[in-house]
Amino acid sequence: MNTIGFLINPVAGMGGAVGLKGTDGMLAEAVRRGARPIAASRARETMELLKGAPFRYVTCSGPMGEDVLAAAGISDFSVVYRASPVTTAEDTRDACRAFVDERAEMILFCGGDGTARDLYDVVSDTIPLLGIPAGVKMYSAVFAVNPPAAAAILLSGATFPLHLRDAEVMDVDEEAYRAGELRARLYGYAKSPYLPGHVQGAKRVFEDQDEDRAKAGIGRFIAEVIRGTPEILYIIGPGSTTGAITRALGLEKTLLGFDAVQDGRLVASDLNEQGMLALLSGAARVRLVISIIGAQGSVLGRGTQQVSPRVLQKIGTGNVIVVATPHKLAETPLLFVDTGDRELDAAFGDHLSVVSGYHIAQRKKIG
Amino acid sequence: METKIFLCEEDMPRRWYNVLADLPTPLDPPLHPATGKPVGPDDLRVIFPMELIKQEMSPDRYIDIPGEVLDVLRLWRPSPLYRARRLEKALKTPARIYYKWEGVSPPGSHKPNTSVPQVYYNMKEGIERIATETGAGQWGSALAFATMLFGLQATIYMVRSSYAQKPYRKSMMQVWGAECIPSPSTKTNSGRAILEKSPDTPGSLGIAISEAVEDAATHDNTNYSLGSVLNHVCLHQSVIGLEAREQLASVEEYPDVVIGCVGGGSNFAGISFPFAGDKLTGKHPATDIIGVEPASCPTLTKGLFTYDYGDVAGLTPLLKMYTLGHDFVPPSIHAGGLRYHGDSPIVSRLVHDGVIRAMSYHQSEVFEAAQTFARTEGIIVAPETSHAVKSVIDEALKCRQSGEAKTILFNCSGHGNFDMSAYDAFYAKTLVDYEYPEQLIRESLSRVPKVG
Repeated sequence: MNTIGFLINPVAGMGGAVGLKGTDGMLAEAVRRGARPIAASRARETMELLKGAPFRYVTCSGPMGEDVLAAAGISDFSVVYRASPVTTAEDTRDACRAFVDERAEMILFCGGDGTARDLYDVVSDTIPLLGIPAGVKMYSAVFAVNPPAAAAILLSGATFPLHLRDAEVMDVDEEAYRAGELRARLYGYAKSPYLPGHVQGAKRVFEDQDEDRAKAGIGRFIAEVIRGTPEILYIIGPGSTTGAITRALGLEKTLLGFDAVQDGRLVASDLNEQGMLALLSGAARVRLVISIIGAQGSVLGRGTQQVSPRVLQKIGTGNVIVVATPHKLAETPLLFVDTGDRELDAAFGDHLSVVSGYHIAQRKKIG
Repeated sequence: METKIFLCEEDMPRRWYNVLADLPTPLDPPLHPATGKPVGPDDLRVIFPMELIKQEMSPDRYIDIPGEVLDVLRLWRPSPLYRARRLEKALKTPARIYYKWEGVSPPGSHKPNTSVPQVYYNMKEGIERIATETGAGQWGSALAFATMLFGLQATIYMVRSSYAQKPYRKSMMQVWGAECIPSPSTKTNSGRAILEKSPDTPGSLGIAISEAVEDAATHDNTNYSLGSVLNHVCLHQSVIGLEAREQLASVEEYPDVVIGCVGGGSNFAGISFPFAGDKLTGKHPATDIIGVEPASCPTLTKGLFTYDYGDVAGLTPLLKMYTLGHDFVPPSIHAGGLRYHGDSPIVSRLVHDGVIRAMSYHQSEVFEAAQTFARTEGIIVAPETSHAVKSVIDEALKCRQSGEAKTILFNCSGHGNFDMSAYDAFYAKTLVDYEYPEQLIRESLSRVPKVG
């Protein structure tokens, strides 16, 4: 990897410190409340660690990239996009298009969920995204845990090919969020680099940290369960981990939606709440298979609105199979369930058993 | 008020106790992997010396310990029995807790109780080299110690994840002159086959056993040696329980509860079989005997009681035992010695018959218990042993609630001085609590071989 697109959303995170829960459309108010830019200093922390690394950067003018690179002592970069004086989401997307034209192989950005979503609009899963966290909300899984971790991941790519995984991009409704309600939609799956074993410590490299192999193991296991229980209808949630299950069954799955499978056959695709209720009324036994979504350990309630409390009540919390790769679980100290119904949430208890490989599960705390 | 209860060397047991003699009906025989027929002595001669084959199948209640073996055992036996007064006090329990401390042996665990006689019998029959496997390294170092004493060579296949986690076990084997190889290796057909399929496998005892058996079967001067599971291993370990029973009797005690951790079953057999014998013969019918295993590899609590191979490649005889399936690769928990898909056929049978009960715990809770033990009794136990400690603490806390002053005996099978990376992980809160999704596995296809 040589060329990295580098972009800063200079206003990211400004709303958070002044209690605005996000900066989308609220910049003027944030500034009025005395908010100061934080993205530049977060990005600089990463870039100083990357000084001397054999990368070339394509970036944006001034506060959207150029200033931080220069301040970090990095000279091998070219400015390929001139930002407007007051930057907007459109600047992020336009800059990203310029990076694509310059054949960037990775996009390193500093911002929050909004920035990730804007970049994903342009590159989808064609160019990997890695976020330096600076936003107010970071429910997407493309972010490194902190600025130094972002540098460590990229440095590992200087000598070996980077490991890539599917990472959720989440779309959080900021209006609702300000009103005290978290409405997060699963927006898509970007590619994002990660360090296998990084979280678990160097001695534990023999855990199956390879995402693709772990997914294949989960897929093979649950596919065998589905074949072994032809009397049960399986509703399979969104994501690439659950996608491995349908792949093992030789079926096509909706990436962002809920599909139904029974006896190895696809019964329904991209179900909404009504569709699920209709299916449930005719089935004797039903199980729900879902993965952990986003960076915050969400099991239900973020990006799974189709599974309403009514649907979940019919399925029964005891019939929910949760799956996730070991790497995802290592990054997720606590799980949470927020179905919109407190009693239902409580029915999951204090711990969940999460299937993390072939014939293996991990016990995780619900926080 | 003694803290340590000793036996004189001259009171050391001169005979091993064979619990097979006290089973109401004989054990189901091991079956030949190719023919499915019961194996005879000749089938085993390729990898075992005759004397051990005889012991494996012996109906005799007692078997004499050879003098040369006793001379070596005397280096650390009889091992002390401790009264855990400080632990009792910390738990505010009326229970009296005793532990047999096997960490005093040179390799630091109960394992040389059987490596010494096994190597002795091989030496007697002219064998020059022993091939074996090791999980956490306790067995490997014990075998290296014994081969050094009797002038044999040793090749030890060490489960890869432990090889990385516990480098000092490998150093010990080197000091005692043994060769230690991470498994799966490229030295054997079974190792190469596994590596081809999954190059990053953490390895498992099942895989390492396949490698060692293959090594032994393909070299004339080489025999195989197993550190657990088999009847003759349980027989050799009986010295632990025999001594403990004497030591307790000297303070007019007999245990109400006997506890040990279980991987393949050898240290548990050692502490418990003499008491299981007393239970079977009606002398002490009410003793509560508990085998403790990891929740991530819950052979006795969630496995099937059926015939299965002892190794991954299917080279060993089929044993009737509790099993999670011979192709099950247990997750890389720190208690590497408990990562085994099967269990001793005798322990399995006693669990099946209700003479022994089994329970399981998660990794993080057993380290919590080990910390309590280290901060009261001082000894930092091996991760395997911490499973027994957790169960002891739970039983003692039950006594606090009920007010019963039970006598609890457990086998403190080894020290954890080479397991500090595991304790580090505990303090860094990075221990993963693996589970065995039993219901789902039962629903998926069964991989246990169909026999009979």
